[in-house]
Amino acid sequence: MTWYYWLAAASLLINVVILLIHIFRLTTSGKPTDFSKQRGKLTPAIAFAFSGAMSPTRKESAFLHLPTYIAGIFYHLGTFTAIFLFFFNLAQISVNESFSRFIAGFLMISAVSGIGIILKRLFVNRLRALSNPDDYISNILVTLFQIFSVFILFDDAWFSAYYIVVSLLLLYIPVGKLKHAVYFFAARYHLGYFYGWRDVWPPKKF
Amino acid sequence: MGELSKDKIEKGIEVFKNQKDSKLRAHINSCVHCGLCAESCTYYLAMPDAKFVPAYKVDLVASVYRRYCTLTGKVFPGLVGARKLDDATIEEMVDLLFGACTMCGRCSTHCSIGLDISFLVRTGRKMLTNMGYEPAALQTSVNTALETGNNMGISDTDFIETIEWLQEDLQMEVNDDQAKIPLNEKGKEILYTLNPREPKFFPLSISAMAKIFYAANESWTISTKMYDITNYAYYTGNQDESKIIVKRLYDEMENLEAKKCVLAECGHGSRAFRWEGPNVIEKAYPFEVLTSVELIAQYIRDGRIKLDPEKIQELVTIHDPCNLVRSGGIVQEQRFIMENAVKNFTEMTPHGIENYCCGGGGGQLAMSEYNERRMKIGKLKADQIIKTGAKIVASPCHNCIDQLAHLNSTYKLGIQAKTIAEIVADALVLE
Repeated sequence: MTWYYWLAAASLLINVVILLIHIFRLTTSGKPTDFSKQRGKLTPAIAFAFSGAMSPTRKESAFLHLPTYIAGIFYHLGTFTAIFLFFFNLAQISVNESFSRFIAGFLMISAVSGIGIILKRLFVNRLRALSNPDDYISNILVTLFQIFSVFILFDDAWFSAYYIVVSLLLLYIPVGKLKHAVYFFAARYHLGYFYGWRDVWPPKKF
Repeated sequence: MGELSKDKIEKGIEVFKNQKDSKLRAHINSCVHCGLCAESCTYYLAMPDAKFVPAYKVDLVASVYRRYCTLTGKVFPGLVGARKLDDATIEEMVDLLFGACTMCGRCSTHCSIGLDISFLVRTGRKMLTNMGYEPAALQTSVNTALETGNNMGISDTDFIETIEWLQEDLQMEVNDDQAKIPLNEKGKEILYTLNPREPKFFPLSISAMAKIFYAANESWTISTKMYDITNYAYYTGNQDESKIIVKRLYDEMENLEAKKCVLAECGHGSRAFRWEGPNVIEKAYPFEVLTSVELIAQYIRDGRIKLDPEKIQELVTIHDPCNLVRSGGIVQEQRFIMENAVKNFTEMTPHGIENYCCGGGGGQLAMSEYNERRMKIGKLKADQIIKTGAKIVASPCHNCIDQLAHLNSTYKLGIQAKTIAEIVADALVLE
């Protein structure tokens, strides 16, 4: 085991502990309470919040921005793939060559999507006005993570740089906006709860 | 840059503490600044400036949260865009949270993450109000309601006189001396509320509802002590004042021993009393609360009133009030009523929970300093109306009706803006 392997493992541990603290704080902040008389059903509304409400057929932020939406989907799937690959690496499980090529191809598409998202943030006025350093750092770290994940699939020499990037990313996640990985689920749940309680979601046909 | 006192800052950030559940924590930590909400906002669509993007408005609140409530924001404010509460921040917050958001919630349903953006904007308004920065004009409406019992400052004498002549009119119209607009009668099935704009400017909408109650042979009353359904403290975010207003109607329901509280056609009032009210007073209502739109739909279904759609030949469309529809789930009822009350009906695009705000929500009609913006964003609604070719725009909200009237004169729409009750009253068949 190399020092950078242990660095990444330690970073993972720190990351998990801090995210667990976030989860603990969220869950102990209390369940939604509403004294008004419930009009709709919660379960279908919450399910809709995580499904139909996010689909490009309904969500303007998706269907009015299809290229960004698709890039975002690839980018997130690429991130999950790179995370799985990281766990494989930590567990010292090797991936066979043809599967490596497939993953590498996919990660390259997602990394290009990530670069596209960074460029969009840099060049679209309204996005630049919205952005702070955290937006760029988060985007760059995740994209680098994906790029280095491709490198290590074909050349072990990149492992030291890869583990350093992974460590930086893991330590940074709880600091900035990347922690939306935790809060996203709670936000969608609350939105589904809100609209379900009042019988707005799931939408009715009329 | 003007610094704020420590006490004032404490009052401001108090809104982030003592939350009863995880909603605020979840939403305020979730925005990724993707900016894809821009096109879902009427302000951005009318004035494509970065500051009108909903995420920008959210970030004003979230950046203050990060600065005072997160370790990273305290240690590295520049890294995460954490903002100090100072004069410049306050000025921008007042301008954008009060003056550039109707809290219509359209952006929330389209947010890529699922943030309740109008909830966060209201949290920002609460923060500003706690510090004493609520717009004076909006607060005046609240003060008038607190001092006189209604936001228009109508005296009891004027109100009773108005109701009396409306009653005489009703008796003549239905040709029945026994037809009544009952005041302060105990033990009735329904306590009916009003938007004070009705007795002040639109008395015919009271007549319309009275005619419907008469046709349905309903047991109902109006309280002279507390008939005001509006609650502008909901818009300023002042919970204590909102509580006083909610509690007054709650107490009057108990005092008059009514079984149901029927809310007049007022979007924010319905929301403030039906949905937010029980949470503000922290207890469930022991009586039923429903909107007049639901009640009228029920009358039609039950055969308690009969309508003749041939009486209204003009093309009619519906403007959906955001608070009643997107935040209240009243979507089908007004359409069911229109199916029965008018011959020609058409929908706007988009409509229902996808509707665009008319521009009058969020207290905008009470804040004259933002009139120019209000009319600009209303252009979107005006264009929607023009595309339908409708001559009558029905809307179950007096604030919306007011804004539609302003749009009508500014953009020369040539329409009539009517409440649902007014249309139903016109189509009523009295036997």
